[in-house]
Amino acid sequence: ADIISTVEFNYSGDLLATGDKGGRVVIFQREQENKSRPHSRGEYNVYSTFQSHEPEFDYLKSLEIEEKINKIRWLPQQNAAHFLLSTNDKTIKLWKISERDKRAEGYNLKDEDGRLRDPFRITALRVPILKPMDLMVEASPRRIFANAHTYHINSISVNSDHETYLSADDLRINLWHLEITDRSFNIVDIKPANMEELTEVITAAEFHPLQCNVLVYSSSKGTVRLCDMRSSALCDRHSKFFEEPEDPSSRSFFSEIISSISDVKFSHSGRYMMTRDYLSVKVWDLNMETRPVETLQVHEYLRGKLCSLYENDCIFDKFECCWNGADSAIMTGSYNNFFRMFDRNTQRDVTLEASRENSKPRASLKPRKVCTGGKRKKDEISVDSLDFNKKILHTAWHPVENIIAVAATNNLYIFQDKVN
Amino acid sequence: MEFKLEAHRIVSISLGKIYNSRVQRGGIKLHKNLLVSLVLRSARQVYLSDPCPGLYLAGPAGTPAPPPQQPGEPAAVPPAGWGEPPPPAARAAWRETEPQPQPQPQPERTAVLDAQWVGGAEPATSVTRVGDALQGREADAAEAAWGSVEGPRGAAAAGAGDPVRGSDVFPEGPARRPSACPPGGEDQRGAAAASPGADCCCAPRPVVDESPAPPAVCPRKRGAAGVGGGPAGCQAPGATPLKKPRRNLEEQQPGRGEDDDPEDMETGNVANLISIFGSSFSGLLRKSPGGGREEEEGAESGPEAAEPGQICCDKPVLRDMNSWSTAIVAF
Repeated sequence: ADIISTVEFNYSGDLLATGDKGGRVVIFQREQENKSRPHSRGEYNVYSTFQSHEPEFDYLKSLEIEEKINKIRWLPQQNAAHFLLSTNDKTIKLWKISERDKRAEGYNLKDEDGRLRDPFRITALRVPILKPMDLMVEASPRRIFANAHTYHINSISVNSDHETYLSADDLRINLWHLEITDRSFNIVDIKPANMEELTEVITAAEFHPLQCNVLVYSSSKGTVRLCDMRSSALCDRHSKFFEEPEDPSSRSFFSEIISSISDVKFSHSGRYMMTRDYLSVKVWDLNMETRPVETLQVHEYLRGKLCSLYENDCIFDKFECCWNGADSAIMTGSYNNFFRMFDRNTQRDVTLEASRENSKPRASLKPRKVCTGGKRKKDEISVDSLDFNKKILHTAWHPVENIIAVAATNNLYIFQDKVN
Repeated sequence: MEFKLEAHRIVSISLGKIYNSRVQRGGIKLHKNLLVSLVLRSARQVYLSDPCPGLYLAGPAGTPAPPPQQPGEPAAVPPAGWGEPPPPAARAAWRETEPQPQPQPQPERTAVLDAQWVGGAEPATSVTRVGDALQGREADAAEAAWGSVEGPRGAAAAGAGDPVRGSDVFPEGPARRPSACPPGGEDQRGAAAASPGADCCCAPRPVVDESPAPPAVCPRKRGAAGVGGGPAGCQAPGATPLKKPRRNLEEQQPGRGEDDDPEDMETGNVANLISIFGSSFSGLLRKSPGGGREEEEGAESGPEAAEPGQICCDKPVLRDMNSWSTAIVAF
């Protein structure tokens, strides 16, 4: 099993897609409620597996293009088939996932095993009939959107119009139409005329969930820009600029790195957005640009360890964050297979661990605590014994229910609220 | 002092990351390298602003730390007189004065050095050429001499006492030099790959040299000194020349001032890094060992791909990132 690089529920929550470093996509489907097996309701089982991207080599630039899936985004369902977009560093693909559970039998021109029948032998005509067969799930690439990005794609986001989507790399954001693969429009370009003057890159971008003309993109400098596509074709001038002034007292060598935003997500309501930087999650009200309305500390105890984290490259980890369906809770990952959930209403937070050793199936997760200094209580873990190789970068929350998917390196954990 | 050590360490680590990013799968990650360059800049600022005496990790003769010179220096090493680091005061105007403090030895040194070179004139010329591009013309002659002097000296481990360069020179030398330049093997520090001095002396000039050629050599050494190797007095000025040449390359500004803003240097070096990355990452691998400089020049147009193997193998790992700009040049 390969390292999971992205996790995403579809709009109904019945399907859960994961992408991995090997370019594969695995889709899980939720089991239907079944009286004979009451416990299996809500379980996700593998539905489809396919190879989305292969490693490529750019001969012109002598660069290898990784097949790692950076992002998957589902399209809203319009018919029996499911569609999703998956992207690696350079190419976005639209996949159609469809079921086949019937097979036609009784063709006139060919045998059941496919061999052509001798026309002279056909003495009567028959109408083929459909017979049930074992369910087969097929994935086929329907569109390939390639050659539009010079830099590494970090985000894709489907517009609320369900016709267009954006793809963002380090310096540019392109707007695509789902039906058109040979053309895309560049809507944001922050590449300086002289690359020597480069000071920031785009780290994430997303369309507003309700307003099809609004998008946001975050930068490595810890800022978020909101753009309105109605104002001009090239959205180089933002409509809103979200930045919290840096606290000068906490300045260090690594201030810039830890302020770089790794993920930005609109709330389902569209009123708020959330940004994740290395140590914290910030919730912003779109109406207030000067500072976030909430700042949640994910693992503040790491602030004193930034130098070591820089050495072992952990400081560059890009954590994602997600809202629950009601926008009342937030989840994000940390190290040691810990992930954190914050309840915005009660202002309470909890740290949980995704690991097989420390929790049994169907047992409730025990809250964890990291001891920051002084005496370590029982059951607490000291900062120094955290395993920084076990990081939870990707998490997803079911759009409606309290079911969460947590990717811990090459394992996928699915947790849900206890049903009494 | 702790800040200086810490900063130095961070610079070393950062340079290592940048270097390693070249061979990572998927190409150079612009975002990560931008962040690393920002850290480099911060660390460098701290390092330069710390008033403590510089770290003599590659202590030249006569400096507090033991010089990294190899005991068995090649015979071609310049005369002992060369080894004395110029006094800090002189360093301030090192470009002009460096040759002068030991004017007498210098000519012979030059002669000695030239003799050592395989195609010695050539590197000097190329250095000069680059230097020309980098800085004002007026310094050319001095620079050329400096460069040629520097080269072998650098190559000759610990630059025969050149405080700044000695250790820096080394790493590039052996790996990169097909020429007869004695490997800068001395460098105990494993100084940053891009030792301009070392490079100077090689006919196939490694990438390293390009970047500020003699201005490369000298300023870089200066910078290196500032960063971690040289006598205390030369740090601040050292920093500037280093940056300036690079900047000049892009902007064709004449002259190399000693009083440049360290701020400029930061941007310039960062900018150089970025320009490398900005060339769709194709510029990192060059066909000819000629250099990072050319890469940067052709950055936007996408320099030709080099033979990755060659470059990767030739350059020893930057063990001491003393002169981070030179390491960057290593690209």
